[in-house]
Amino acid sequence: MIEIQNLSRHFGALKAVDEISFSVSSGTITGFLGPNGAGKTTTMRMMVGYLQPSAGSILLDGKSIFADPIATSTKIGYLPELNPLYDEMFTQEILRYIADLRKMPATLFAQRLEYVVEKCGLQDVLTQRVGTLSKGYRQRVGLAMAILHDPEILILDEPTSGLDPNQILEIRELIRTLGTQKTVLLSSHIMQEVQALCDRVLIINKGKIIVDDEIGKLSSYFKDHQILHLELEAEDADFGEFMEYHPDLQIISQTQEGDNFKMQIKMPADLDIKYDLARFIAENGWLIVSLYTQEKSLEEIFYNLTKEGGQLPKPAFEEKDLEDAEELPSAVDTAEDEGEEEL
Amino acid sequence: MNAILTIARKEYQLALRSVTSYIVFVLFLVISGAAFATTLFKINLAELRGIYSIIHLLFIFFIPAITMGSIAKERSSGTIELLSTLPIRLSQVVWGKILCAFLQVLTLLAFCLIYFGIVMVLGENIDYGAVILGILGLAFAALAYISIGVFASSLPSNQVLAFVLALVISGFFYVIRFLLALAPLSLVRYLQFFSFDYHLSGFMKGVLDIRDLLFFVAVTLIFAFLAEFNLQSKNMMQER
Repeated sequence: MIEIQNLSRHFGALKAVDEISFSVSSGTITGFLGPNGAGKTTTMRMMVGYLQPSAGSILLDGKSIFADPIATSTKIGYLPELNPLYDEMFTQEILRYIADLRKMPATLFAQRLEYVVEKCGLQDVLTQRVGTLSKGYRQRVGLAMAILHDPEILILDEPTSGLDPNQILEIRELIRTLGTQKTVLLSSHIMQEVQALCDRVLIINKGKIIVDDEIGKLSSYFKDHQILHLELEAEDADFGEFMEYHPDLQIISQTQEGDNFKMQIKMPADLDIKYDLARFIAENGWLIVSLYTQEKSLEEIFYNLTKEGGQLPKPAFEEKDLEDAEELPSAVDTAEDEGEEEL
Repeated sequence: MNAILTIARKEYQLALRSVTSYIVFVLFLVISGAAFATTLFKINLAELRGIYSIIHLLFIFFIPAITMGSIAKERSSGTIELLSTLPIRLSQVVWGKILCAFLQVLTLLAFCLIYFGIVMVLGENIDYGAVILGILGLAFAALAYISIGVFASSLPSNQVLAFVLALVISGFFYVIRFLLALAPLSLVRYLQFFSFDYHLSGFMKGVLDIRDLLFFVAVTLIFAFLAEFNLQSKNMMQER
């Protein structure tokens, strides 16, 4: 159980982390999500005691981690973002070195070595120099070093960066297994990863936490509407009559090029009008080329939240917020426009 | 195993794999050997005092070369982040580095025992006390220089800069002896206290004065402490 209270860290005038508070309970995997420079690494570095906070406290089982740094570091396994390793050493040697510095008895080390080598897939590179390893293998060595002493708390800064898809699956599986017994906090800027792995998600941007919720609830935050894409083969398609029947709908765009008619409709998430719409089209004798609804992807949510002017999303729609949002500089990108309406 | 020993052992193993340390070793031995051979063959003198002062001079250049990477390299490669999150103290890192460099210098001095052998064979009336205490004195001076070098290495993350800094600080302690002639007489006895040569001269004569020993130990401790302090403050106030 880690508790972060009003944690801040300044680099000169830059507020890298600005009064954040959250807690991570054991037996869960928490994803720490944010764009580059959001303060993820700074926060994690403070949590492992590498950086001193400017203000605030980090409590591990109710005790400040700075009270007894040696005891703290025996409980924490840390994979740094850049994963620094001693390039001149051999894989087995570097694991041995870490074990020695952690004062692991030889028998325990032998057991754990077997475990991490198997779990991280290091069999083939044990006698290879770390400097000659590929990025994926380096990452695995880093991970092996982090879990070598079987820590209660695992802090992993972008654990799957540089891995190929197969390795990513393996490492995710490993993290998932570890997450059942241990406290895991991992950072990432890849949404799918957090979605696939984590029980909880913290989204941080510009040093502030903007979302702290369970992963399942996150998407429901944003599903207040969906976009329906429609493509028809029709001349002079007119949906005026249909729209009158459904006042909830809103046409976002519509284009007519010869026979080809395209339209995008915004509608509430809980509404299913596909049957009505198909019937209406059939009555008019038009031909459907494609008809699908698009839900907001987490990527989009993330993008909208963390871009310029992003704010804490409000599940309830408020007229006032919309006005505020429209005053902000908006980009040409339609995705961005949608984001403004989101607020 | 103790963290200091673990770090020192690993560093020493890595040093044995690095070409740089071999270059440093060979250069040191070639230069000191040439100097020794000159006194031996040209001046026909089988003595060690000359070579001892040359080894002392070489320390000023070679010890910074040995220590320049010790902490600077950990910082530039980021592995210091790894070390700071392990259950070890920064002082153990500093002392591990010092111990490793000391082992390297002792290795060098071990090679220099050849000169001792040659002098034993060719020389007469050898003052064994002076010879052995001379080596001991050099070892203690080396320890102090190493501490300075490790401290200098903890300042920048650039190795070359660390080398220059170590050279300047060690050079100060070395050069004082030559500046004494220019200093006012009343200050001489205070200034000469800082001269490594002044403290070494006792050893060279075969006199073991506990004050000289303490001087070198104190310099070592002070710079080791400064290095640790510097690392800690960097850790606390790390600016990007």
